[in-house]
Amino acid sequence: MSERTDYLDLDTKDETFLDATELVLNMGPQHPSTHGVLRVILKLDGEKVLGTECVIGYLHRGVEKIAENRTYAMFNPYVDRMDYVAAVSNGLGYCEAVEKLLSVEAPPRAQYIRVILTELCRIASHQVWLGTHALDIGAITPLFYCFRDREEVLKIFEKYCGARLTTHAFRIGGCIYEAYEGFEQDCKKFCDAFLPKLDEYEELLTTNRIWVERTKGVGILNPEDCIALGVTGPVLRASGVKWDLRKAQPYESYKDFDFMIPTGLHGDTYDRYLVRIEEMRQAARIIRQAVDGLPQGPIMAMVPKVIKPPVGEVYHSIEAPKGELGYFIVSDASTQPYRIRVRPPSFVNLQALDKMVRGLLVADVVAVIGTLDIVLGEVDR
Amino acid sequence: MKLAPLVRKILLVDLIKGLKVTFHYQPPSEAITEQYPLERPVIFERFRGQPRLNSNPDTGESLCIVCNLCALACPEQLIVVKGERNPATKRKEVVSWTYDVSRCMFCGLCEEACSTDALELTQDYEMALYSREGMVLDQAALERGPEPVKYAK
Amino acid sequence: MIEYIKGYLSTGTTPGEAGNLFWATVYILLVIVGVSVAVLCMNWLERKILAHMQIRLGPMRVGPHGLLQPFADALKLLIKEDIIPHDADKLVFWSAPVVVTMTAFTTFLVVPFGRTHAVTDMNIGVLFMLGVSSLGVLGIIMAGWSSNSHYPLMGSLRSSAQMVSYEIAMGLAIVSAVLMTSLQTGTGTLSMIGIVEAQASQHTWFIFKFFPLGFLAFAVFAIAMVAETNRAPFDLPEAESELVAGFHTEYSGFRWSLFFLAEYSAMLAVSSIAVTLWLGGWMRPFPTWLGGSTWNMAFSFLPALTFFVLAAMCFLGTIRMPKIPQFRIQTIGLGTFGALLGFVGLVLLVPAVSVRVQDIYWFVVKVAFFMYLYIWYRGTFPRYRFDQLMKVGWKVLLPTGLGVLIATALWGLMPQLSAAITGVLQ
Repeated sequence: MSERTDYLDLDTKDETFLDATELVLNMGPQHPSTHGVLRVILKLDGEKVLGTECVIGYLHRGVEKIAENRTYAMFNPYVDRMDYVAAVSNGLGYCEAVEKLLSVEAPPRAQYIRVILTELCRIASHQVWLGTHALDIGAITPLFYCFRDREEVLKIFEKYCGARLTTHAFRIGGCIYEAYEGFEQDCKKFCDAFLPKLDEYEELLTTNRIWVERTKGVGILNPEDCIALGVTGPVLRASGVKWDLRKAQPYESYKDFDFMIPTGLHGDTYDRYLVRIEEMRQAARIIRQAVDGLPQGPIMAMVPKVIKPPVGEVYHSIEAPKGELGYFIVSDASTQPYRIRVRPPSFVNLQALDKMVRGLLVADVVAVIGTLDIVLGEVDR
Repeated sequence: MKLAPLVRKILLVDLIKGLKVTFHYQPPSEAITEQYPLERPVIFERFRGQPRLNSNPDTGESLCIVCNLCALACPEQLIVVKGERNPATKRKEVVSWTYDVSRCMFCGLCEEACSTDALELTQDYEMALYSREGMVLDQAALERGPEPVKYAK
Repeated sequence: MIEYIKGYLSTGTTPGEAGNLFWATVYILLVIVGVSVAVLCMNWLERKILAHMQIRLGPMRVGPHGLLQPFADALKLLIKEDIIPHDADKLVFWSAPVVVTMTAFTTFLVVPFGRTHAVTDMNIGVLFMLGVSSLGVLGIIMAGWSSNSHYPLMGSLRSSAQMVSYEIAMGLAIVSAVLMTSLQTGTGTLSMIGIVEAQASQHTWFIFKFFPLGFLAFAVFAIAMVAETNRAPFDLPEAESELVAGFHTEYSGFRWSLFFLAEYSAMLAVSSIAVTLWLGGWMRPFPTWLGGSTWNMAFSFLPALTFFVLAAMCFLGTIRMPKIPQFRIQTIGLGTFGALLGFVGLVLLVPAVSVRVQDIYWFVVKVAFFMYLYIWYRGTFPRYRFDQLMKVGWKVLLPTGLGVLIATALWGLMPQLSAAITGVLQ
């Protein structure tokens, strides 16, 4: 890493940047397509990228530190604010981790509801990704179509738990909200209406020659690199590694459902696009199965009012829309966690940026940032 | 290259397909824009919005029993409840009740903690104010419920 | 005075041909005002059409259906603080938008809105237009350079490379259209009016001539002109997701609005070239097939009819306005606007007016079609990358243009060629 800092102290005292052989371009933190407040320092030769450096931390809120002086239940709403486009997944990961620490398990009905909501959330998150990714590459219209359909998901969230974005939908030990009247129908209606819309997005993009040219062969990550960098989620699967925690270490009731793990062949931006599109279809499939098989029964396990887990530590990870979302919790038998460490998928995936964009053009940097699907709230925490 | 894809490429089939999609969405009836002050969004029952302190509709007495559970449950510690035991009725009565909406993240934990349904997050969402002063709600304001500030020049 | 106007109008020439300075000035002013108004309309229409394609409503608040939005924007831009970056090259920074706007407007000198509705009829009209419109890139380079900032610099470099390479394909397509005026008739011309008259005398629009050669040349031009005006999907110089705002990142207020004006008038200008060269300029559709005085009569009602339809849409809008006090002014405004449009429609029914306006009407309709295409493209396509843009320009459009040019020449010379061949054989 040490050799990569040299372009930060490019001496510009007695020569202007035009005399320099390289152009140092500061992309962000205010830039339309760095998805928030990411700052990427690009070293360019003309438009060709020679190297990058990511500067993060503009959205740092110290979520992990906050956890140390909140009780377990109190910290639950904060995790929604990390990956704010997939808040439900964050909440699921946290609740599961604490449940593992307490050695309790949510009742089946709660597990099914959780699966339905997290898969809906996966669709919503992928739609934000698709819209913004297409916007980065210059297609402005899919964004609006995606947000229209995402709205339906958010409506289901609002009906279920009373909030659209930072949902705080699950509690440690299960769910606090019973499925509202018409929940099943809403989910099914959404799936029915959503799949034709997905075909429409594909009509706009999948075969479009400009889209194909812009994404095929751009930002290639081979499986070895992915594993070495710890990249997870659709980015990893697009490289051909069939690794999905829902299948590899089934949590909740995922083992009950029949779904496929889409993988790519080339590990380029186009494959990542196809993988995510297919993931949306599979998510809809899971939702349908879960709604059909929604069991009756309690939705909350027996969890003490004051959560005091035994001394110990636990690591639990789930397959969030962006990759492996892990929570490492150390308990000292008090009401508050001794330490919580979050393994956010965006933060780890962002590391691959430099590897992916070297030798490409400036326009590709934007495409690659889009395809990594980062959320800065999660990168900086 | 096979013939059919080549022909398709020359005839710009892929581009025309996309153009068709954007073309058929043009009728204004497809638009999903809500023109906010005129058309108001549908707020569902469980929505967590402006807090309200409920009182007994028959007697007008506050339902709050000053148990302090909401204040304990609040992750942001923005609820401060002070009460005093009334020697006549042997019941705790509210002396001061403040709720700092500016720090609230509407997680709903206070509402869940409340044992008497006194504190409730209502479906009102129009909470914008011109200054921060009005954001710390006292008991009277909480019982009155939301009073949206009208936009004025 | 009226006699003078009437006398001039009956001469049937452009002011340039007549050598009349006064009328030339009047026409130039009319063109400048007309283009500015067209840009304002375009601004509103682009927002509305794009919004509807994106299932939004677009501007709805400033005036009824946002009709006053362009004026509000113009006002905002005029009174906005004019910022010149500290390290900018002030003189160049100041002159760049002027250069861009001037070149964009100058091209309209030779655009024939009708047989007599042009400032002048230059015998090198097409060449003049190409030459002047390609000067616009100079202003863009100046803007990018003088801003002394990275994004504008990259934007302007992209822009210059792009415009220079697409000009070649564009030129080849234009040459093949110009060839069509001369082949088999022997009366070639570069004059814009002459080209339209050639299409009239050959009873075909050049887009249909030598099918598919005319169409191919038109297609090459239609793609190149989008690139030439830096519009989606070739809008790399101002790619907002990559270069923030490209060459005009550092511009604000009135200077920025000049760039805006220039971009849209350049779009209008290249569309006018396309209309003149391939779509029969001011001619109405089917002049021979649906010929005769009855059809002429029917077509002459169309301008008025268009305005009546627009007026009817306005009135429909007033009926559908929410019936609440806050909307009273808007409703009245929309009604007045509809009445105004209706009045214009009535004026256009007057035979003397309708005869003179016919040409302009058809020309504007054809240009409007291209404008719609521009918006449609923008709403649909992703953006090309720089190298791919160059690939399309040099590896697709240039060979196609060359091929079409050669094929057109060969086709045109077919009689002579066959005569020569048969002569040799005998």
